[in-house]
Amino acid sequence: MTAVLELRGASKVFPGVRALDDVSLRVDRNEVVGLIGENGAGKSTLLKVLTGIYRLDGGELFVNGEETVLRNPRDAFDKGVAMVFQEQSVIPTLSVAENIFLGREREFLKAGFIDKRAMNRAARIELDKVHLAIDPATKCSALGFAARQMVEIAKALSLDGRIEGDTVILLDEPTSVLERREVELLFEIVRELKSRASIVFISHRLDEVLDVSDRIYVMRDGKVVHEAPTATATMHDLHEHMVGRQLDHQYYREGRQRTEPGPVVMRVRDLSLKGRYRDISFDLAEGEILGLAGVVGSGREALARTLAGLSPPDKGTVEISGRRAQLGKPRGAVRAGFGFIPSERKTEGMVAGLTVAENMTLAAPGQFDSYGFIRFKAERAEARRWIDRLRIRTPSTDTPMQSLSGGNQQKVVLAKWRIVGSRVAILDHPTRGIDVGAKEDVYELIRDMAQEGIAVILLGDTLEEVIGLSSRILVLRDGAISARVEAPAGGKPDQIALIENMV
Amino acid sequence: MKERIRDLVPVAALFLLVFGIAGYSPGFMRPDNLLTLTADTMTLFLMASGVTFVIMLGSIDLSIQGVASMTSCIVAAMLPEYGALALAVALAAGALSGLASGLVVNYLRIPSFVATLAVGGIVTSVAYWASDTRSVYISQEDQDAWLDWATGNFLGIDNEIWTGLVALVLLTVLLSFTRFGRMVRAVGSQERAVIASGIDVDRVKLAAFVLSGFMAGLAGVVMGARLGSGSPTLANEFLLPAIACVIVGGTAITGGVGAVWKTFVGALIVAVVRIGMTFVGVTVFAQQIVFGLVLVLAVAITMDRSKVATVK
Repeated sequence: MTAVLELRGASKVFPGVRALDDVSLRVDRNEVVGLIGENGAGKSTLLKVLTGIYRLDGGELFVNGEETVLRNPRDAFDKGVAMVFQEQSVIPTLSVAENIFLGREREFLKAGFIDKRAMNRAARIELDKVHLAIDPATKCSALGFAARQMVEIAKALSLDGRIEGDTVILLDEPTSVLERREVELLFEIVRELKSRASIVFISHRLDEVLDVSDRIYVMRDGKVVHEAPTATATMHDLHEHMVGRQLDHQYYREGRQRTEPGPVVMRVRDLSLKGRYRDISFDLAEGEILGLAGVVGSGREALARTLAGLSPPDKGTVEISGRRAQLGKPRGAVRAGFGFIPSERKTEGMVAGLTVAENMTLAAPGQFDSYGFIRFKAERAEARRWIDRLRIRTPSTDTPMQSLSGGNQQKVVLAKWRIVGSRVAILDHPTRGIDVGAKEDVYELIRDMAQEGIAVILLGDTLEEVIGLSSRILVLRDGAISARVEAPAGGKPDQIALIENMV
Repeated sequence: MKERIRDLVPVAALFLLVFGIAGYSPGFMRPDNLLTLTADTMTLFLMASGVTFVIMLGSIDLSIQGVASMTSCIVAAMLPEYGALALAVALAAGALSGLASGLVVNYLRIPSFVATLAVGGIVTSVAYWASDTRSVYISQEDQDAWLDWATGNFLGIDNEIWTGLVALVLLTVLLSFTRFGRMVRAVGSQERAVIASGIDVDRVKLAAFVLSGFMAGLAGVVMGARLGSGSPTLANEFLLPAIACVIVGGTAITGGVGAVWKTFVGALIVAVVRIGMTFVGVTVFAQQIVFGLVLVLAVAITMDRSKVATVK
């Protein structure tokens, strides 16, 4: 039997990263395939290849037995591969019917005008397939999350009648915005769909994948590391395959981890933000590295942004050195002593159009100017000092930030907060988009910061990174702290133990 | 290096235009003619110099021609009775309208083009009110007594030119050597990173709009002084050329990149193009067409497309 969709030896390379490394995967007719892996394992890249957003650098892609190149999402859709996006792509100002047939209006033309009644009638048929009893003329803005998701699925299913071969529907984390009851409904539909289409189900919730799929692929570091029919898979096995290699102690400079905690520098009490996180309380000591673990939507990103002053809390208090921090604005957070290294370096971390020195002193008004006039000599001298200290590779202090590599840009962002004298550094995915060598440099610098008494809150790119660097870990699930785990050097906790508290 | 070259393109274009016209009409290169041309350009430059800061933020100020007309009316109407105070009131009114634009942008979170369009409407009404909807003439005595700094001459050079040069120097210092100037550049380049660094971005924007309003107000006063009258429509037809000056000089409409001297060069280019068109025989009515085309072309060249995902 030919597979509906198949990848053979697929690879995709980005500067410094092999995002997909010799990946082979097949989806058979009327099959539900589960795809799991940690953040950064390569799931997203794989999806982007299957929907024509990325082209493969090596290997082959077969759709309905024919080798093919998918040029763009539209092309993929026309060939029978439809994606239901994680961030929904339903356009709220259009009606349900208009969304379902977006880009296919031509099929409903009557004397040059769109025949809305015909379109609504056709949409009715598609909606019936997903048991969605809403009027096709409803504006999508009037629908809830779950209904919008169903509209997307209906849109994907509308392929059915149009193409010759079989349809493959890619569901990317479809349950993350759904309530329990809606998840049940979705699963029911997925099972029903099996008679007409094949489905790839991507999720980080193992229980769901086990529940709904026929066969499971596990990805790690851009490779498929495990493949098994669901009937023989167990939660524990899958965990192990997801996590993989044993911790490399040297990689994370564990030897430099501080053993005795310093005095408490920061106290968080009952911090809550509706819909994001609730009742968060913890203390943080000088020189301590506190890891925050949790899946997307667990509230850890939102918590980090709150401490950075970018998303004010509803209630609760944060104190640094006994003084209450005003977190309504980033300015308050900076004054209180927070330094935020955001995951979106290029939009929130640095100003691409400014020079290295200018970026370094960006957050320090008054330190390098008198009466508003910049003291260029003092500024350059300070910049040079930090370029040496953090081993930043740049031709000069006046080099435009945009011409530096990702790792060196990140070091400049770190220097910015060192110059301000931040007491607590919030590192949100500090090694994202940085190549392997530079990552180790960043780990070294994080250890340096801790040695010098700066408290660090770390949201790692991988769980391994969090465990390797932190001396204590808070696990978040659905917005609340679900576990507090000590992670002393030499006594690091098991990843599986953490994951169990995450999902 | 590449940036250096791009910086110099407007300068090269200016020289080409000047020599081109000189070839057509040798009299053009006479020093007194060039000086007159420069003096004529200065009101345009004054208007464009302030808005340079706003454009570098990535915003726009469409109220400047209304503001300039308004201050010309205020000065003309108040000079006979209040003397120097009239000047102060006019300039303060300019700054105040900039403040209004800035406050609307910051607190109502309205795009600057809408906010300044609205403020432009309001100040035009103020101009009609101040002038009683007519042109208000400035008597020769008042002219001599209070506006000599704008219309007289010093060392054989018209005072407009001196005023323009002083503005050029002061604003260049402000943009290149002060923390404020750097923040303008930073906000225009990547506002979110500046906010995340704890900088009060609203204050930077407010100051830029105030500066733009003040300079437009100053331009209006000088314009009124030169023409010997204030009028609610005095600066009409100036908005398009003023924005053109900024962009043609090499300041990007997307923000982050630019300089006051570039606007100075841009103003001279616009002036020379205007003269050139007269030489070649393009009617006054068609000249706005050329400015429109030049503006679109300059934006197309200087715009940073990596910054805008979609164009609306």
